[in-house]
Amino acid sequence: MNLLGVLEISGSALTAERQRAEVLASNLANAQTTRTAKGGPYQRQMVVFGAREAGQGRFAGVLSDFTDRYAQGVAVKRVVPDPTPPVQRYEPEHPDADSQGYVAYPAINPIEEMVNLMGAARSYELNVAAVQATKNMISESLEILGQ
Amino acid sequence: MSRMEQLSEYLDLAAFRQKLIASNLANIDTPGYRTRDIDFQSEMRRAQSRLGQEALSPRVYEVPGLIERPDGNNVNLDREGMLLARTQLQFRLGVELLRQEFQRISAAVKEGS
Repeated sequence: MNLLGVLEISGSALTAERQRAEVLASNLANAQTTRTAKGGPYQRQMVVFGAREAGQGRFAGVLSDFTDRYAQGVAVKRVVPDPTPPVQRYEPEHPDADSQGYVAYPAINPIEEMVNLMGAARSYELNVAAVQATKNMISESLEILGQ
Repeated sequence: MSRMEQLSEYLDLAAFRQKLIASNLANIDTPGYRTRDIDFQSEMRRAQSRLGQEALSPRVYEVPGLIERPDGNNVNLDREGMLLARTQLQFRLGVELLRQEFQRISAAVKEGS
């Protein structure tokens, strides 16, 4: 049993939430992007979270004790594009307009992205609080040694 | 079971619970994740009865009666927050008692010389 493994779990959540915030920021930044390398407008991306065994696929995983079967970290499993079709806007003078004068804009609602971003920020803070609590416990356990 | 062994079990259980709480908090946005916990008191009783022979293996259960969100996740922030604070204090108590135990032994050694 070690408390350092607890830090790894909370740390995995920090990484996952940061990745989620990055994807959301990218969606917000590209809300008006009509040109991409693949052609067509930018497509909104969504992250999919999944529970993950602590220390999986690493050396620590080989040495993991039974507690890791129950206590799981989190990871971004996939980033999937939103299949919603683009929004057509009539802008005949736009260079990306089609023959009818319509421009395809990404179907991104900035309010929805902002709400998600706030959710990611709160979850991040929450896990920082958990890290803080665990750090306190570790430093307290060190006090057994000193006097 | 000596007092020191008891305290060590107590700290192990507190650390294990801390791990489960961290796991619950880490998965607050994971669809389908269920809150997990241990029954601290019955695990402590079980630990005392098995005389510290076997390795610690608490029974982990999925906490019933929590409100589930549409994505199947039922992590409750208030519950985990309270437990986090509580487990931290329990751990601190264990450390403090263990420290006193060591001081007692150390005092006995010094007085004896």
